[in-house]
Amino acid sequence: MNFQLIGHLIGLRYRLLWAKTRTRSGKIALFMAGYLLLLLVAAFFAIAAAGGGMVAVRSGQAERIAQGILTALFVSATVTSVMLGFGMNEVFSDTELRRYPLKALERRFARHFTGIVDPFWFLFLALYLGLAIGLYLYGAGSLVLGVIAVLALFVCNYLAAQVAGRAMERIMQQKGGSMILPFIIMVVCFLPSLAMPMLKKHAGAGKAVLRVLAFTPSFGAGTLMTRTGAAAFGGVWPIAWWVLGLTAALVALERRPPRIRVAQTTRIRWDTPYARAAKVFGPRYAPLVEHWLLFLFRCKRFRLAYVMSLPMVPFLLLVWTRQSARSNPFAAAVGVFAISGLAPAAAFLVNQFGYVGSGFRRYFLFPMDPAAALRASSVTLMALCSVYVVLAALAWVLFAPMAWGTRGFCMLLASGAFGLFTFHGAGLWTTLYGARRSDPNKTMGNDLSLAGNLVVIGGMLVMLMGPMMIGQVRKGIITPDRWLVVVGLAALAACFYLASLRRAPAMLSSRREALLAIVEGKA
Amino acid sequence: MDAVRITNLVKKYGLVTAVDGLSLGVAAGTMFGFLGPNGSGKSTTIGCLTGLLDPTAGQIEILGHRFDADSADLKRRMGVMPETLGLFEPLRAHEFLAFVGRMYGLDEGTVRTRVTELLDALELTDSSKTLADYSTGMRKRVAFAAAVIHSPDVLFLDEPFESIDPAGVALMKEWLNRYVKQGRTVFLTSHVLETVERLCQEVAIIATPGKLVWQGDITTFGREGAIVYDGQEFDALEPLFLHLTGERHVDLKWL
Repeated sequence: MNFQLIGHLIGLRYRLLWAKTRTRSGKIALFMAGYLLLLLVAAFFAIAAAGGGMVAVRSGQAERIAQGILTALFVSATVTSVMLGFGMNEVFSDTELRRYPLKALERRFARHFTGIVDPFWFLFLALYLGLAIGLYLYGAGSLVLGVIAVLALFVCNYLAAQVAGRAMERIMQQKGGSMILPFIIMVVCFLPSLAMPMLKKHAGAGKAVLRVLAFTPSFGAGTLMTRTGAAAFGGVWPIAWWVLGLTAALVALERRPPRIRVAQTTRIRWDTPYARAAKVFGPRYAPLVEHWLLFLFRCKRFRLAYVMSLPMVPFLLLVWTRQSARSNPFAAAVGVFAISGLAPAAAFLVNQFGYVGSGFRRYFLFPMDPAAALRASSVTLMALCSVYVVLAALAWVLFAPMAWGTRGFCMLLASGAFGLFTFHGAGLWTTLYGARRSDPNKTMGNDLSLAGNLVVIGGMLVMLMGPMMIGQVRKGIITPDRWLVVVGLAALAACFYLASLRRAPAMLSSRREALLAIVEGKA
Repeated sequence: MDAVRITNLVKKYGLVTAVDGLSLGVAAGTMFGFLGPNGSGKSTTIGCLTGLLDPTAGQIEILGHRFDADSADLKRRMGVMPETLGLFEPLRAHEFLAFVGRMYGLDEGTVRTRVTELLDALELTDSSKTLADYSTGMRKRVAFAAAVIHSPDVLFLDEPFESIDPAGVALMKEWLNRYVKQGRTVFLTSHVLETVERLCQEVAIIATPGKLVWQGDITTFGREGAIVYDGQEFDALEPLFLHLTGERHVDLKWL
């Protein structure tokens, strides 16, 4: 194994990370602050996890609680990685690594090793370690076995995320994959909420589930962390088998990329649904809207995000409101409606030119105002995302976990409109000032700029949690009686969007050279 | 009348000067070669000429009118094949060309006819493939088709022949020769000097940073056999180019 070269590649991975930040003034400080913050958060989480270990030992159920915490962390890391794309970025592709004197095994090792040394995964490593140290300090298990369990579970977690991500990508590339995937997600999402009442009814079922869970890596790691001697080794086998199984699955998935068979045809179809839909926008914008529709629905990344939101929006609406049943389920619904217009195309609406590559320069070569391209892109995304506000409304009508009236319904719709206009307005500005060159065919990974991430993740958290927090601080403020306030806010957001739609694209010409350099990968 | 006239063009990126006081004129109905070594400012100049980049100083006239990035009427009469091709990769060739045609204001009937004819002529008839699935040469053909679909008066082609097979190049040359005979103008850059020598009537050679070092009629090579410059005779474009841009001999002992 050429460890020296792999070490150089890991060094290069961090130099590239640094270089990306260095190219924009002021980002260096942010980068440093971000890393310091991450370290602080990691330390905080480690302490918190150590506290969890302490509680587990004191309660006398160290093994069971540790297993529960580890399972929750394992699932969180996998889901966050696959859904939000953190820690999924492949820094060097196999093709890129082929230029170096590395054998096939070394290339695979280098790719995944440079992938696992990601700040995101360090965060989960800190959590696992924190728990192991907490358990050891309060008298459960041995430190050496705990650290071994942490490292094994960490590797297993990374492999599970990689396998899940690639399996999803493969499903998407199959014929009808865009319909199968949401179905699978829906089953996975709804399964716990369907299973819980059954488990409560049948006491024996819970034990049977625990017996099955004993074969999972997190349960194995829990045993290894909390026991000593021969008893601890009972936890080794599940992790070992999972690591082996996941490695084999990953190798198999990587070795056999899906073959897409497309029948050759010389027939040109002119009258497509995209062309018909685009005609709604008038003769000036129709060609641009048609091109955006074609472009977006051909991008694997967009298709996956858009289709995956189909079950996610109603699911979030129902789960979030049920979880808040004791506090304020209506406030929770207001939050979900607010983000329903962002979820389906978040990455695209804050980085509208980042995915078009060299095609971007066409907008400046055409005999038109380039602003029209950005306006067309924004209204296309707005039209596509507004479908999800309607979908959320439909889910509310069919499955609302509480009684509701016309005022409440208007308030929810207004909240949806508020989120839609706010996010799409902000998206126009981040497209201009926070653009990032991105790959439209990469379904995984977070490739947004700092500004894009702030709008998407920060905005989602604020919109989702905001109404509930306000409802907590001032009881009775988030009620259907206040529907006019939200309608007013939605009107303000619409004004912000319209003003942005007028002003931001007009600034496209002055940002032309900077954006060209970013989008075409020269900055 | 000059189809393209550049006067004292300067383009700076911060402290770096990419084009330094370039002045030249291209007569209408000419196949004009714009040559220079890598990094000499050819693509930057084409960027300024097509409205992608704003000149730091200087003036550009196209077809007798002052040109800047907002000159929509002039852009309608210009065709551009950029160095980076400017393709929307998830689109299919016919979708991309139809989009380009519509953006240049062609009516739907003309768009469909021209797209079909261009794809047929350039052997890009497999409509199941997206542009991302095409080879480099095929992508170049699509970019060339996009530059000519609206039958412009001035054509800017940035390295149009590189990566295209000989049959494709021959066809493009035939089209370009006919196009120029109709009184229209081609402004092209290329590193294949033999092709430029056979195709172009006039050539400008620039050296880093975007300074004109020579402009002249190269049909002389065919008529009189040689061009005299600096007291030396050059019987082909390549030795003249190397003389003007600085031929280098560096010996690496280990290579």
